Amino acid sequence: MLLSAHNISKAFGSFLAVRDADLTVAEGEIIGLIGPNGAGKSTFFNCLAGDTAPTTGRVLFDGIDVTRSSAEAHARAGIGRTFQVPATFEDTTVLENVMVGAFLRHHHRGAARETALRIIEMTGLARQTAQRARSLGTPGRKRLEIARVLATEPRLMLLDEALAGLTPTELQQAIALVRRIHELGVTLVIVEHIMEVIMTLAQRVLVFNQGHVHGKPHEIVANEMVIEAYLGRGHRRRGETP
Amino acid sequence: MFFGVGAYTPLLFYQLWGLPPVAGVPAGMLVSLCLALAIGMPTFRLRGHYFSMATIAVAELIRIFVGTWELVGAAIGLQGPAVGRAWWDLMFRSELPYYYIFLAVLAVVLYTTFEVERSRFGYYLRAINAGERAARSLGVPVRATKLKALMLSALFTSVAGSLYSIKTGFVDPESGFGILVSVQMVIVAALGGAGTLFGPLIGALILVPLQTATNTWFGGGGSGLTYILYGGIIVLLARFEPGGMHEWWQRVAPRLMRRWHAA
Repeated sequence: MLLSAHNISKAFGSFLAVRDADLTVAEGEIIGLIGPNGAGKSTFFNCLAGDTAPTTGRVLFDGIDVTRSSAEAHARAGIGRTFQVPATFEDTTVLENVMVGAFLRHHHRGAARETALRIIEMTGLARQTAQRARSLGTPGRKRLEIARVLATEPRLMLLDEALAGLTPTELQQAIALVRRIHELGVTLVIVEHIMEVIMTLAQRVLVFNQGHVHGKPHEIVANEMVIEAYLGRGHRRRGETP
Repeated sequence: MFFGVGAYTPLLFYQLWGLPPVAGVPAGMLVSLCLALAIGMPTFRLRGHYFSMATIAVAELIRIFVGTWELVGAAIGLQGPAVGRAWWDLMFRSELPYYYIFLAVLAVVLYTTFEVERSRFGYYLRAINAGERAARSLGVPVRATKLKALMLSALFTSVAGSLYSIKTGFVDPESGFGILVSVQMVIVAALGGAGTLFGPLIGALILVPLQTATNTWFGGGGSGLTYILYGGIIVLLARFEPGGMHEWWQRVAPRLMRRWHAA
């Protein structure tokens, strides 16, 4: 397994944000993570990315215990993540943003620049290379976050609602981009509310609610608990009436 | 405080061992580096205003300590050679040699800053400034980078302090470690544009003549006016132009160019 998280719990004082969550990810998989707001998806994500240490449980990446490692160490190990609210470096250019990521594996400016330009081209940001991140719209900034993480040459990418807030056309382009990243050999865990994204991309789905449900996408959309808690009755009706 | 360390060490070398003050410059740099390490390690756990408050508190502690320490002249301070014994005492009748020495040091500092700006270290510094959490997620070693930045700034500031004390031939706790020294440096950077190559230079070009003018106008009776002037500049910058003159110029210059072309 590339990533194994066992019995992850995270408490903030007396509030238990994540309770006994488990996740195993094999190399090359795409995993979807869904659940209602406040179910603890982002906190679980933060535990996997080293942003916060879990209160209990263990996270193994490629067999190495990274439970208490810093976010920097996670990035060096090959775990990259995006943020729910894009955290681009606003007053620096697209190229400079991506170069910060590229510097992780390429210490010389020339090599980092070359890698960054290649990734900017791949992520469709070539025309905005010299623009400041601040001037990009939401889709551009989300792409920039993906590009920046990609520049760190991760083995596992954690995408936190990276495709939310896009128009249908932008969404299709973003799905195509995620597919391209997957084809490069990057394993992906995607937190997403848009079921179209999960159904299209994910090979397995983990549902965060009172308990956790694992399954294939078509099993998840048929699960009673998931329908009640997350998808809503309308989804079952649409599913039942072709 | 690094300015004070840099200012005291050359004159201490002269007082204790009769060495030319310039021999104390590397020692001042070394002490400043060690001080930066000792202060940076615990205080980098603090963020924003708390970090600034902690560093001001440490500077004040050092000022009070130096003011009671006999070895470094206590409240009276230290003096350099009254008359130059040889050229290496760097005591010149004319201001011109100092001008060229300071210009050479400025050139070295600007070149180093230029190189830092283009290097991985520079990119990391800008990333940390824009968002520590995001920088960490990209593998930026935040604490180590901040510590390196503090050490580099300690080196530069120490050299500035040494140049000051060698030129004036005198230093006391207030002129070396006084809060006005730190405030002046911060205002010079903030006025011109902190985090930019030429910003502090622009800030100094505005502030130093302004300070000289107020001193001339009001004389010794208006010494407190310097504080009022600095306070006023801080308030105006915070309210109208937090990015300093550099950012203001970047915003205004394209508009002026358009008008000029239209005319």
